[in-house]
Amino acid sequence: MSLSRCWRRALRMTAVRLRVRVRCDSSVSSAAGPVDTIYALSSGQGRCGVAVVRVSGPAAGGALRSVAGLSRALPAPRTALLRSILNPQTNEVLDRGLVLWFPGPHSFTGEDIAEFHIHGGPAVINGVLQALGSLPGLRPAEAGEFTQRAFHAGKLDLTEVEGLGDLIHAETEAQRRQALRQMAGDLGQLYNDWSQRLKRCLAHVEAFIDFSEGDLIEDGVLNQVDLDVPQLQMEIENHLCDERRGERLRSGVQVVIAGSTNVGKSSLFNILCQRPAAIVSPIAGTTRDIVETSLDIGGFPVLLSDTAGLRDTGDCVEKEGVRRARHMVELADVTLVLVDSTQLPQEPPMVSGFLREYLMNVLPSGNNYKQQRLLILNKIDLLPKEHISAIQNVLTQTSDLAPVCILSCHSREGLERFLTLLQDRLKTLCGDPLAGSPSLTQTRHRAHLQNCVEALNQYYQYRNVDLALAAEGLRLGLSSLGRITGKVGAEEILDVIFRDFCIGK
Amino acid sequence: MLPVRRLLAQPRFPSFSLARSSSNSSHKRYDVIVVGGGHAGTEAAAAATRIGAETLLITQKIQTIGALSCNPSMGGIGKGHLVKEVDALDGLMGRAGDYAGVHFSILNRRKGPAVWGPRAQLDRSRYKEFIQSELLNMPRLTVIEGSVEGLLVSAADPEQPGKHRVTGVRMADGGDKILCSSVVLTTGTFLSGSLFMGRTTSPGGRMGEAPSCAGLSHSLKEVLGLKLGRLKTGTPPRIIRETVNFSLTQLQLPDPQPTPFSFINTHTHCKPEEQIPCHLTVTTPGVDRVVRESLPVNSHVQQDTKGPRYCPSIESRVLRFPGRQHQVWLEPEGLNSDLIYPQGLSMTMPPEMQLRLIQEIPALSQAEIHTPGYGVQYDFVCPTQLFPWLQLKSVQGLFLAGQINGTTGYEEAAAQGLWAGVNAGRTALSLPPLSLSRTESYIGVLIDDLVVHGVTEPYRMFTSRAEFRTSLRPDNADLRLTPKGREEIGCVSQHRYQEAVRVQQGLTEALSTLNSISLSPPCWREKLSDVGISENKSTLISGEEMLLYTDVSFSILASTFPDLLSPYLEFAERIKIEAVYRPHCEKQQREMERMREEESLSLPPDFDYFSQQVSLSNEVREILDRARPSTLGAAMRLKGVTPAATVHLLNYVTKTDRKTRGK
Repeated sequence: MSLSRCWRRALRMTAVRLRVRVRCDSSVSSAAGPVDTIYALSSGQGRCGVAVVRVSGPAAGGALRSVAGLSRALPAPRTALLRSILNPQTNEVLDRGLVLWFPGPHSFTGEDIAEFHIHGGPAVINGVLQALGSLPGLRPAEAGEFTQRAFHAGKLDLTEVEGLGDLIHAETEAQRRQALRQMAGDLGQLYNDWSQRLKRCLAHVEAFIDFSEGDLIEDGVLNQVDLDVPQLQMEIENHLCDERRGERLRSGVQVVIAGSTNVGKSSLFNILCQRPAAIVSPIAGTTRDIVETSLDIGGFPVLLSDTAGLRDTGDCVEKEGVRRARHMVELADVTLVLVDSTQLPQEPPMVSGFLREYLMNVLPSGNNYKQQRLLILNKIDLLPKEHISAIQNVLTQTSDLAPVCILSCHSREGLERFLTLLQDRLKTLCGDPLAGSPSLTQTRHRAHLQNCVEALNQYYQYRNVDLALAAEGLRLGLSSLGRITGKVGAEEILDVIFRDFCIGK
Repeated sequence: MLPVRRLLAQPRFPSFSLARSSSNSSHKRYDVIVVGGGHAGTEAAAAATRIGAETLLITQKIQTIGALSCNPSMGGIGKGHLVKEVDALDGLMGRAGDYAGVHFSILNRRKGPAVWGPRAQLDRSRYKEFIQSELLNMPRLTVIEGSVEGLLVSAADPEQPGKHRVTGVRMADGGDKILCSSVVLTTGTFLSGSLFMGRTTSPGGRMGEAPSCAGLSHSLKEVLGLKLGRLKTGTPPRIIRETVNFSLTQLQLPDPQPTPFSFINTHTHCKPEEQIPCHLTVTTPGVDRVVRESLPVNSHVQQDTKGPRYCPSIESRVLRFPGRQHQVWLEPEGLNSDLIYPQGLSMTMPPEMQLRLIQEIPALSQAEIHTPGYGVQYDFVCPTQLFPWLQLKSVQGLFLAGQINGTTGYEEAAAQGLWAGVNAGRTALSLPPLSLSRTESYIGVLIDDLVVHGVTEPYRMFTSRAEFRTSLRPDNADLRLTPKGREEIGCVSQHRYQEAVRVQQGLTEALSTLNSISLSPPCWREKLSDVGISENKSTLISGEEMLLYTDVSFSILASTFPDLLSPYLEFAERIKIEAVYRPHCEKQQREMERMREEESLSLPPDFDYFSQQVSLSNEVREILDRARPSTLGAAMRLKGVTPAATVHLLNYVTKTDRKTRGK
């Protein structure tokens, strides 16, 4: 996902702070517009009584007034006020909660900030986020954007900033996975299809602009675009109006169990579910499809998936299962990599090499992001005690693998320690408010789609008057879609042009 | 191979003296030496001179300075933008076009001023005449004939980035060494160039001229260790005019009133009624057949050197898009030339097959070839090794411009030449080098694309490459660049600067006068009855807003308010364009400012991306180390550089800046 907008603005602010002289364009134009106002859920998503939604930017005061139904003055700065929280469009009461007002520069970001402390249920949170999204000038925050604004307002010192890049990295990755999860389904296909079609439209208009004189590109090219653009616009509009919105949002931390065949993945899955949800048998390749369930582990929402054992197989059903398993691992927030400890090499020094290779095989390749993972050595009830402690010795000396748990699903030995470790992971993940929130990702997508629809209007407005400005509308629309599906650069447009048309020198 | 005759029957020598005495050139030290007299070289020499540098232009033959070695035309869509910008920075090309043009037209007239493409057919000899007369009469510029065999290189200045420093050139044939501060290489297709026709291959960069630059290739590759690539291009056969049956073609007339390229010209040298037409015809299935038959004896087409995705030759057109009619433009080579340039028929097959091919086209069924077409393959220096001011990152004082950087086209070459010349001059005079931003010019887009992304095919300008196309229009190139060219760059004459300032003041005044006229919709309806102002509209409408209506021109408004507006009638077209585009340009302003600020944060060229000072992933380290972006903006446009990496880089830049300020 493109996060460019937020940190680019941040860069701008730094440039100003550094007194970098910025040359003003000599053409007859005026200055730039104001800074956006951003909003986001600022508390974690686990089971919690109170959720905090934060709004930062010049429109924060207005947002506070309309959502908290304050017709006149803003509340006294930094004083809690109990109000009904309304949807300003429908005047429907969403919740009753505390509102706080932090006028800039004495706030976390240095800008005006409004905070809403509301009840922690998903329906309430989503309702408030949507209400904010419907206000003009507000848009969902990108990952790390609040922190970045704080940084650029000089509210963080340099040591705190050291962590900023890593924080953004982690959040970006979490968001990317979240977006991928949504994009993996029908919705993703839909967005990609729109993006492809709009790219083609733009490429054909660009071809008509750059090459129609001197090359054989007929006016007919534009006729097709004239049909495609309204069709596309209508489809996006219908999608935005569709209250069901196609897909169920799957909220929670995605935990995936993966490993070779017959290492006990389904046994671990059943233990965590506390019911025999998956079929367990000594036959390798029993689990073929993804088995999925929603759980509550230590108060944190979890989506747990059991996957097919990874192995090369000729069986086409199992092959598909392995493909799905690998895909699932890519989308996971936490991967539990399971190993059959009876398969470990007999000589303890060889163990770490074996495990390293095993991890490489299970985890997605080329992913430089250190995905959260736990290495679990199962079936230790089948090993002699002295061998176990030898293995433990080796593992304490190797730090680069992954946190390791030694347990037995059969005897339940080591399970307690594993659960504590897992809960720690969940706590870290859930403490990060932006990371796993599907509704926020969705709000962001909706905002981009809405922008796309509006930009496409410019195409009709100028189609017969000024094709350069009409094309600009398509460019803007594609760049909005690109914030969901990935940026489309000039080179890709040229690829389509040269593929579809014979362009001479 | 057929004996190759000169394209021009008799090269016409200008009446003024050809070159200043070159006898003592070798004893003198120059600020800038420009190698090559093509479009890049001539602009580079002229620009360095305008900056104030003592400049030497070395060319193989003075009489080929300013030669149009391929098509007899310039400008067009995207390329016309470059011509206007070169002119706005006081370059030669626009004025040369106005002098040599014999057929002017603005392409894309119906598609919006941002994408208008000013274009002209040129008279080859007039073009050369103009360029030569400009250069040979320029103060501070010396022109000599000769071949450069190698570069003189010494140890780098430790204060500056780079591994070497260029100190001059060594002339061929045991010639002298000539010392200088900066060198601009504009050797075009001559770097290890080979010519292809049928199965024949011979060394050279242009038919009829001696191969050269073998020593230079060696200098670049072996001594300086630069990364080179190979590209190909080609040119069509020239056809004898009187053998063409023009009655079977479609007549293409020029614009009745020619529009000059240059902002300081009010009219072109060629009178409107003296302009000559072009003709359009199309290929037939017979052409496809000959192309396919020629394949076994066409080594240029067979060889796997990167050609463009677009189709420069008739062979590639037919192979990629078979069974179609392809357009062929029959362009005059000049007012008095007896040759026709068949645009679209670039080919490399054996000459006898070239003749068969063109005779498959009805209008050319009796045509005779004067000079056959041929292909060229040549080395280029991967342009990612350049700074945005076109100096090599590893060699202090060495600048490259034109086809040597992997571009194609006169206009692309001229634009780079000008910019390399400006910076070679500035460097020699100990002024800091400058770069042009993507947000202010197509030249900036061109150079940024080259140095950030490199090339995989000959790079050519299209308007779709400019993300701020709405703001970077051909009509406002003077407002964008001329004041800066005078005040910051130092390459624009006082005369041109004053004209640009006058225009800018006129436009600003006109627009504010328009805004001072504010009437209710009924009042406007009364004054301009034909304009369909919406019945729902109730607020006051300003004169500028009225210009947003398609059928309201500035002249109409001026006739309604003659006292207020008639002083600005000379800017009528420009005012209309400004008014229509202003809202869109304002929307782009923020994005443009952002990009400028990113570009103002520079990254040290010798920065060790593998050092532990900055935390970056290994993948990103490698990307940055390979590309060595000059600014944070350029780093962000690289594929694979993540937002997090940029924050770390920003953090680094911020910290370094604080440290240096603390010093």
